[in-house]
Amino acid sequence: MNLVLTRIDNRLIHGQVLEAWVPHVQANCIVVASDIVAANPLKRLMMKASVPSRMRVEIGTVDDMVRLLLTDALDDYRILLLFGTPAEALRAYRLGLGYQQLNLGNLHADNGKERFSCTVFLDLPDLKDLESLDQAGIKITARCIPADTERSWRKLIPEIREPD
Amino acid sequence: MWLELIIGAALALLCGLDRIAILQILISRPIVAAPLTGIFLGEPLIGLQIGVMVELLWLARLPVGAAVPPDDTQVAIAATVLSVALGRQLESISIEMMLVCLLVALPVGKVGQYFDHRARNYNGHLPAQTERALEQGLWRQAQVIHLRGILSFGASSLLTYLIIIAVGLLLIPPAWPLLTRVFSHSASFLQLALPLVGVAVILGTVNVSRSITLFCASFGMAFLLMWLVHP
Amino acid sequence: MKLGWQTRLHVWLRLLFLQASWNYQRMQGLGFLFALLPGLRKLYPEEKIREASKRHAGYFNTHPYLAPLVAGAVLKLEEERATHGEDRSIDIDDFKEIVAAPYAAIGDALFWGGLRPLAAAITLFFAIKGIIWAPLIFLLLYNLVPFWFRIVFFEYGYRHGIQSVDFIQEHNLADWAIHTKEAAVVVLGGLCAFLVFSHLAEHHLPTWPGLLTLIPMVILGLGARKGLSTLLLIFLTCLTIVIFGIFWADLAGFLNY
Repeated sequence: MNLVLTRIDNRLIHGQVLEAWVPHVQANCIVVASDIVAANPLKRLMMKASVPSRMRVEIGTVDDMVRLLLTDALDDYRILLLFGTPAEALRAYRLGLGYQQLNLGNLHADNGKERFSCTVFLDLPDLKDLESLDQAGIKITARCIPADTERSWRKLIPEIREPD
Repeated sequence: MWLELIIGAALALLCGLDRIAILQILISRPIVAAPLTGIFLGEPLIGLQIGVMVELLWLARLPVGAAVPPDDTQVAIAATVLSVALGRQLESISIEMMLVCLLVALPVGKVGQYFDHRARNYNGHLPAQTERALEQGLWRQAQVIHLRGILSFGASSLLTYLIIIAVGLLLIPPAWPLLTRVFSHSASFLQLALPLVGVAVILGTVNVSRSITLFCASFGMAFLLMWLVHP
Repeated sequence: MKLGWQTRLHVWLRLLFLQASWNYQRMQGLGFLFALLPGLRKLYPEEKIREASKRHAGYFNTHPYLAPLVAGAVLKLEEERATHGEDRSIDIDDFKEIVAAPYAAIGDALFWGGLRPLAAAITLFFAIKGIIWAPLIFLLLYNLVPFWFRIVFFEYGYRHGIQSVDFIQEHNLADWAIHTKEAAVVVLGGLCAFLVFSHLAEHHLPTWPGLLTLIPMVILGLGARKGLSTLLLIFLTCLTIVIFGIFWADLAGFLNY
């Protein structure tokens, strides 16, 4: 398994991923692990239609995708893995998917979510999930596109900022 | 001098709004904005040359979703206005002047990204206002609230333009005698290099596998053809 | 009831102002409501506009050239909802959410990533030639396809409603984006070759070393891929040239002396 980028992004496959990250990390396979999308055939079809045909796309539930990634089926690919929410990223990790870095893309505003940067809005459960991932030693950073500066997620969150 | 700055400001506002707020017919691209400025200032060729130099530089930075690309529109317009205004004042409308103005405008233009960001942040209070208006059934007011967003984008464009102009007017005239000497030997090479750097960045970041192979083949073929045809 | 062409034209014109209030919370959300309002006003009685408006004021973001396709389809769906009541099988909000990101991805790739550099590269040939009309050529070259998308697809969306997604699925626009980008890279190659060759010829220098320009360009390209900022690359290049220029002038002067 060759994971070149692991990212949480509400919008999953969209312009920033395809136009900026794919060429930057030279990915040739996108894996979308999202239970909501997996349950909606139209959504899955539309998502596949937005990706050029030379790229492999796998869309499915978190459980299915973790199982797929843990086999050797995708060993020849440079994989870009997308989650829809922090909870899904945590579940994948607990299911045995070992990744070291996690990129926060767009986590858009919603009721009860608080703003941590322009594009990152989180509520309390989200924070707890990220905290658990952080404690497992995963490096979590916020960065929309490669040309932006990378910021550690702890810098975004004032109350649990490390003493410096 | 003042007339040039004011014409420039009007174009900075118009072309700047095209970037995000309205239309998106791409009058905001340097290859359009700079020559347009040049025509209004009576120096169309200056605008055209600046347009050629700036157009490709940040073409690889796409306005995707919430990502804010550098404000090449204001860089192009302000560099044109500075070249013409200072060129007339210092009696040197030349490649050297264009390059100096451009090399000042490029880094200062970074403030454009900051202001753009601020404008989008500032517009963040509009959703709540809209909700309140809709709650009371005042949907007509919701339309006005939406259009108010144009003001912050306009302000961001104008401020960026004014800051580039101010820095240019402050820095360039005193340093001009020295700068002409420094740039006199390399001006034409710099004019050539800027578009090439832009193309190199596009090659590096475009989502095309083997972009470099394609580019080298095309470059090599065109070059050899010209060499064959050239007397 | 059916929406007349005047109302649809009004909505279409308002879509040109889609991003006027772009913000990080709702992105194009308020703009989408702004554009739809003339339609909603025709469809619903005054007291129901409020409820319909609130449904459309939420988070929404897609490519501005493909927003008319979404707006057309949503108008159709609202029209059906106003005449037959709420349809449980299609939720208009869900429809908007499902199409927004894929359309954005396709639009970004096709227009910003593909057509924009291609039109710019072609236009630069005219600009280098000193043709004052070059900007007009760019605007015509570039806007042809976007306006076709904006106008034709708005009507297409309105005719086909939810079925309008079929077009995107059947025509592999994502691959078209790749083809456009490849074309842009090839044209840019020719453009650079011309720039270098004509520059050397103009200064009566030997032309063959021009081929060596490819080396620094590839290095700069790889630097950009690694994430170096464009501004840094520009200043490194300019500094090298200026220093070399001064050195070269001294050397030439010394030799002549």
